[in-house]
Amino acid sequence: MLIALSGAEDVSHAEQSWLAAHLESCGPCREFAENSREAVRSLRAIPITAGGSLVSTTQMRVRQRAQELQRRQEWLRVVWVCCSAVTLSTAFTTAILWRGFAWIGQHARLSAPVWEVGFMVFCFVPAILSGVVLLARGTHVVNHNGSSQE
Amino acid sequence: MNAIACNIVSAMADENTEIARGLRRRDPDLLDRLIEKYQHRLLRYLVYLTGRRELAEDFFQETWIRVLERGGQYDGRHEFSTWLFSIAHHLVIDHMRRRQPASLDGVGDDGDAVQFDVPATGQRSAFDVTMQREQNEQISAGMRHLAAEYREALVLRFQEGMSLEEIAQATGAPLGTVKSRIYRGLSALEPWVKGAQL
Repeated sequence: MLIALSGAEDVSHAEQSWLAAHLESCGPCREFAENSREAVRSLRAIPITAGGSLVSTTQMRVRQRAQELQRRQEWLRVVWVCCSAVTLSTAFTTAILWRGFAWIGQHARLSAPVWEVGFMVFCFVPAILSGVVLLARGTHVVNHNGSSQE
Repeated sequence: MNAIACNIVSAMADENTEIARGLRRRDPDLLDRLIEKYQHRLLRYLVYLTGRRELAEDFFQETWIRVLERGGQYDGRHEFSTWLFSIAHHLVIDHMRRRQPASLDGVGDDGDAVQFDVPATGQRSAFDVTMQREQNEQISAGMRHLAAEYREALVLRFQEGMSLEEIAQATGAPLGTVKSRIYRGLSALEPWVKGAQL
């Protein structure tokens, strides 16, 4: 094992000295050491180089991907800003609407559960209806594509 | 002498930090420079790891795309080359796992598909060149018959000059395993060296 690693900075001076002394006296180990050195020398002598076209193609692909990632990042930033704006405005308008429904309920002499239900309906019905319509449209698209494939 | 060594180490650390910053920014100019700088080393590693030039070239491109995408993960505290080889290693492993649920077993074991380039060497006498070329061919043939993990360990150690710790880091193998792979790889090459000497 030491022979294979000899010359490496990972082998201490003491081990290197011991190895040198051992190689003086041990024929098989000396032969293995020489063969290993020869193998390493040959290995280093085999040049494998990248062609210019490979490098330029890679650089082009990396630049394209970088642009894609840049665009995606910008898009995500826009989505993030929109979501934040919607969340803030929803919180703000919900508070105002709640007070508005409370005021109407008070003036119309309605009990609290009634105007609260009204508030819920006013807030959630548009979202539920939109969801139903979108789902229906999605189902229609899937059915349409399915039938066209058949 | 120590001051010079300290300066060199400090310059390398600065360079790694600069690379880390550039990768976080996804700086395309930096990536162009890195591709040019590491082109031969990375391709050589991949050719030895996969045993096939065409496959190695595909992985070469994929490695740099992955470097771009995951550049933020490089902290600049280690050598960039170690991180680069680690990415290439994992790409090849992932590819092999998709083909068969094994680590590096079977990489480059496609028989005739394994071809390493052995061009003529240097400006020396015709005899020396022929001898060297024959020996390189023998070693190249020996490498073709080695298991991919041994090839990988030998290339990283002796061609890239990486330390054992760096190899362990790049390949994700324990230090003892790296040592054993180098030893076994060299032992397996021995008959081919002897064959070249005959």
